[in-house]
Amino acid sequence: MDVKPGAVAAGGDAAAGLISSPNWITSRLDDLVNWSRANSLWPMPFFPACCAIEFMATAASRYDISRFGMERLGYTPRQADVLICAGRVPFKLAPMLRRIWDQMPQPKWCISVGACASSGGIFDTYAMVQGIDAIIPVDVYIPGCPPRPEGILYGIMLLQKKIKGESILDPTLRVEQLPDERGMFLRPAAVDELSEPFGNSVHQTRSA
Amino acid sequence: MNGASPNPSAAALQARFGGAIVGASVSCGDTIVVVARERAHEILRWLKETPGEAYDYLVDVTAVEYRDRERPLEVVYQLWSLPRRVFLRLKVELPKQEPLAVDSVVDLWRGADWLEREVYDMFGIAFRGHPDLRRILMWDGYAEGHPLRKDFPLRGRFSRAEQVRQALTKTPEAHHSVEELAVAEAFQQLSNDARQKLERAGGPGGA
Repeated sequence: MDVKPGAVAAGGDAAAGLISSPNWITSRLDDLVNWSRANSLWPMPFFPACCAIEFMATAASRYDISRFGMERLGYTPRQADVLICAGRVPFKLAPMLRRIWDQMPQPKWCISVGACASSGGIFDTYAMVQGIDAIIPVDVYIPGCPPRPEGILYGIMLLQKKIKGESILDPTLRVEQLPDERGMFLRPAAVDELSEPFGNSVHQTRSA
Repeated sequence: MNGASPNPSAAALQARFGGAIVGASVSCGDTIVVVARERAHEILRWLKETPGEAYDYLVDVTAVEYRDRERPLEVVYQLWSLPRRVFLRLKVELPKQEPLAVDSVVDLWRGADWLEREVYDMFGIAFRGHPDLRRILMWDGYAEGHPLRKDFPLRGRFSRAEQVRQALTKTPEAHHSVEELAVAEAFQQLSNDARQKLERAGGPGGA
């Protein structure tokens, strides 16, 4: 058979390490699936606050998120792959965020944009969730208050990198998180630990 | 009196209600009149309906709690007269040892509805005669108290885990009563064309 090593038949990472001819290619199925998934992520925007403005800049022409196959913002969770939470989430909004996450079909990922979504940020108060990882599992945290569009794009590229490392043979990747008998997704001790302010910088006694 | 001249409404209130006026002062150019709780509603009605006063716009209803624990809470009414272009601030003092309650002014200003609900939610002050006194910012069933009170810790009373649990186990739809979701309730208040449109579409509950 006439095989010409190095002849390019397919673009991107899937082409790496394959023997190709003008007529057929071989590849690991993982590589092919991950390559297509990583480059056609449809985001579900969940934008409760100001980090959304930075995402709008990211989506607009100057930073142009469509270079990553993400120009189609799916305003329905049923047609989305990656939930992008940009902004602080109050406790009142927590069940909506969880429901939107539950409505998204697998495979799905989550990016937490900004300090507030990732840790509660400056809002260490009675009203605010101290990091959305207490509500839904997060794949990439983007720091910043707000992060610049470059930061958001870098976060997206990190997520693509993560997706390209997945294997379809790993059955645990797509397991849906179910609430325990208390209605929570993490142990209470884990939530308490996640919610502590960093560096013990806030001194206040809790009355109960 | 800070040098500035007080709003003449203060003197008019003194003349008309006498003992019900606890005090009047001027701060930063604004006249503040403190009135007795029992007669607050009557005084507000008089301020709204008397032609020479005509405070027809209720800008805000809010409340203040001071750090000094002995000091009473204050309910603050910020009034504005649209025809005369004059502000007046009214305060009602609520001592902490008595039940925190004051008469609602929703019957005078329809817009007081949500303002009083917010004061109730944040301070726990009950407005007697309010048509629908529920929490407005925090959700129904919020069990930690009234967040703007001085004895309320900044991070709330429960642990973070308990707060997350309570937030996750409530149903988002539970905030809205059936009446709120149904158009039927408000049908008579709709404009004519909106009503006709609804009727053409099968009517409110007509299906």
